Amino acid sequence: MTTVMDLSNALAGAVERVSGWMFAVHGRPRLPSTGVQWRTGLVVTANHTVEHDREVTLTGHDGRSFAASVAGRDPSLDIAVLRAVVDGVSAADVADDGDVRVGHLVMALGAGPRASAGIVSALDVGRGRHAAGDLLAVDLTLYPGFSGGPLVDVRGRVIGITTSGASRHLQCAVRATAVTRLVEHVIRGGRIPRAYLGVGTQPVELPHPLRERLGRAQQTAIIVVHVKSDSPAAAAGLIIGDVIVSIDGHAITEPEDLVAALQPDRVGAAVTMTILRGGEPRDLQVTVGERPSRG
Amino acid sequence: MSALLAAEESIPHLARIADQLRQVTVEIRSPGGSGVGAGILWAPDLVVTNAHVARGSCVGVGLADERWIEAHLVVADRRADLALFRIPRCGVAAALGDSDTLRVGALVVALGHPLGLRRTLTAGVVHALGPARPGGRRFIHADVRLAPGNSGGPLADTAGQVVGMNTMIAGGLALAIPINDVGRFVASATASTT
Repeated sequence: MTTVMDLSNALAGAVERVSGWMFAVHGRPRLPSTGVQWRTGLVVTANHTVEHDREVTLTGHDGRSFAASVAGRDPSLDIAVLRAVVDGVSAADVADDGDVRVGHLVMALGAGPRASAGIVSALDVGRGRHAAGDLLAVDLTLYPGFSGGPLVDVRGRVIGITTSGASRHLQCAVRATAVTRLVEHVIRGGRIPRAYLGVGTQPVELPHPLRERLGRAQQTAIIVVHVKSDSPAAAAGLIIGDVIVSIDGHAITEPEDLVAALQPDRVGAAVTMTILRGGEPRDLQVTVGERPSRG
Repeated sequence: MSALLAAEESIPHLARIADQLRQVTVEIRSPGGSGVGAGILWAPDLVVTNAHVARGSCVGVGLADERWIEAHLVVADRRADLALFRIPRCGVAAALGDSDTLRVGALVVALGHPLGLRRTLTAGVVHALGPARPGGRRFIHADVRLAPGNSGGPLADTAGQVVGMNTMIAGGLALAIPINDVGRFVASATASTT
């Protein structure tokens, strides 16, 4: 009899608990977004809600304001990490042990606090721009201003960061493990490195006879249309017209796959790139570089 | 909300709440009006609803037992969007909660006649508490799917107590007048007429 009431109280309790770690993030005109203090002094929000070259202010749930600066961005996951001295606000209880299952009851929260409830509808929606396992899809409404806010389980633990910027069609959240990985880049190196090859590519179809001859199932790959001089790609000997079919054994079927294969933690690592040159496969060793910073 | 309905299979608690709420949720037809709105049986002889639902001094009220009775306006406050009607005694009245103790995230259910679908239950959580725009009146914002026909009907907590009156839809959210505000309106209306 009381189970549904207990659940209701648990949800309301979760909102109260989590709202203490949340901020309204003023990083764009008009509509503020939401942020979560992931580690002391580091607040995570949605990258698309923090404009470049703009002063960022945070407002805590008690109304206090704090100045913040962007410490790192990952546009592919739509995560920005802000640095701010926010005394009196504790860091979130983050659950990144991966025990989230399809069907779990979750809430998305926005600064205020505001709440929206639903269920986890899919895990591993990582396709295209996103590495597998970094995103999960949720069946709930992300209301205006929710982006960058926490996805919360019934125990009041943060299991992800919601964003309307990760997918045009799905309501998505970046899983806590992926967010923690980015935050740890900032803690270790003061920034989120962005992997860089220095190539421009376009999708290209692999003709059926070629697929048969190579024994590959993928119907498309990407063709190199531009190689920057002094880039990791140039150093590895990649030339215009090469067709990239896989990196470290993972098929590359469209340019977005390349972005997904080049996560920040690959910077400095050597990867094996399988290419077709003149219709013949060959492997190139490429050392992933770091994208030169703007300006 | 599907998860809530899944939990319901093992504990038919919401179904009981829905049955209680059906008894105290009425249909309201205004003379000359084409649509149907909802109302709450406040007392055995009083129905409260939105002023935009019940236009006129005499409206038709449909009870849960399919009877239609006439209701006569006691008082309407267009600004507050509330109207109180007197009906022949019918024996049931809503259990009222305390909207001041409502918390964001709490589960709530709404009962009404969305798009004419009579006595339909929808569920969700409290989204926010406060004005819809700066300086405006306080509303319960609920992440509950409503449609025209829900106006004037109850928003209830998991104890089955009515905590708000569903009044409008804004940005996909249900906006409900806190039941304590409705209570003050009814108290002043009945005090001035008796």
